[in-house]
Amino acid sequence: MTWTCDLIEARLSDYLDGLLEGAERSAFEAHASSCPDCAPLLASVRSLVREMHAMEEVEVPPRLVYAILDKTLGPRETVTGWQAFLQVVRGMATPKFAYGAASVFATLVILVSSLGFSFRNPKLADLRPTNIYHNADRQAHLVYARSVKYVSDLRVVYEIQSRLRQDENNLQTTPEEVLPKSGPEKAPGQTDDRSPSQPRQQNRANEVSRQLELLAAELPLMSGRDIR
Amino acid sequence: MRRHTRRIYGICYRFTGNRTEAEDLAQEVYLRVYRTLGSYRSAHGGFATWVTSVTRNLLIDHYRRSKRDRVTDSLDDKMAVVENKESAGRRPDEQALLGELSLQVQNALTKLSPELREAVILRDLQQLEYAEIQTVLEVPEGTVKSRINRGRIELARILQQMGVRPA
Repeated sequence: MTWTCDLIEARLSDYLDGLLEGAERSAFEAHASSCPDCAPLLASVRSLVREMHAMEEVEVPPRLVYAILDKTLGPRETVTGWQAFLQVVRGMATPKFAYGAASVFATLVILVSSLGFSFRNPKLADLRPTNIYHNADRQAHLVYARSVKYVSDLRVVYEIQSRLRQDENNLQTTPEEVLPKSGPEKAPGQTDDRSPSQPRQQNRANEVSRQLELLAAELPLMSGRDIR
Repeated sequence: MRRHTRRIYGICYRFTGNRTEAEDLAQEVYLRVYRTLGSYRSAHGGFATWVTSVTRNLLIDHYRRSKRDRVTDSLDDKMAVVENKESAGRRPDEQALLGELSLQVQNALTKLSPELREAVILRDLQQLEYAEIQTVLEVPEGTVKSRINRGRIELARILQQMGVRPA
């Protein structure tokens, strides 16, 4: 087939849209690249198509959607006065709104309580800025002191536990030092003037009680208070 | 609804080149869709294709009724086109150039005959497939291809006469 300028013009969009293949495409390109009339035409249409594909969608005016709704479904009724108020209340009567309001209320209660306001014995003076500041400061110090005391108590408890554990370990690892010696020269059932041999359990109990006494002596120093 | 509104308004604006007219026509399209929704069958193609057909028919009716755009020189219309703001990646000078070109292409479009104009709008601005355009225009595929081709060539020549050369 001989590709004339008319044919090139007729198949221009087929070429640009990728509808020409193989020999047709090659013949088209061969003519279009060498023809002084077809080459600029191809270039200008190609750039035009590229430009149109790059053109962005026109932005829809926001009022258009409402105008369409008015036109298809009819104009919306405008309510005033009590009806408008009831509409607002009805709009708020949803589980989502109720949950949101409850959580906000709970947050406010916690916040106000932490600032020293008593709901059992409410006083107007508690809402003054200076009182709010002082109460907040007092609450902060109280919380700090309580947390320090709590940590200190925990340390004492852990210390007792670790000492007891250490003592048990010592007893298990060196039983021969604790067990009473029975000499071969001593006959069974005979006694001498030396201290009698003690059972192992009694020995451990004595050791534990000795450790507890030591700890009891140290406790006021560690916890920073007297123990009575 | 917003997706269809975007397409309908886009076609109306590209066809008329006038924002107010496009808004009125888009409302008319929705009214017609609302009234004739019962006549929609899946045989018409997708719903979007059917809505596009309704839009096209209304535009042709409007064109025939008014016949105004046959004598209107759209180049005198200096209405600013508010384009979508999804072009943040482009440089300001490129954006300005593209905006200017878009305006000039839009102006050149209104000089095309309605048959060629609607074919080019559906193909190159709405990115519809040939089969969809065939359904919308209710003409054979060969006619669709021919109209798109002639429309593009005619549009390129109009732009050249206007002294515009798309890059």
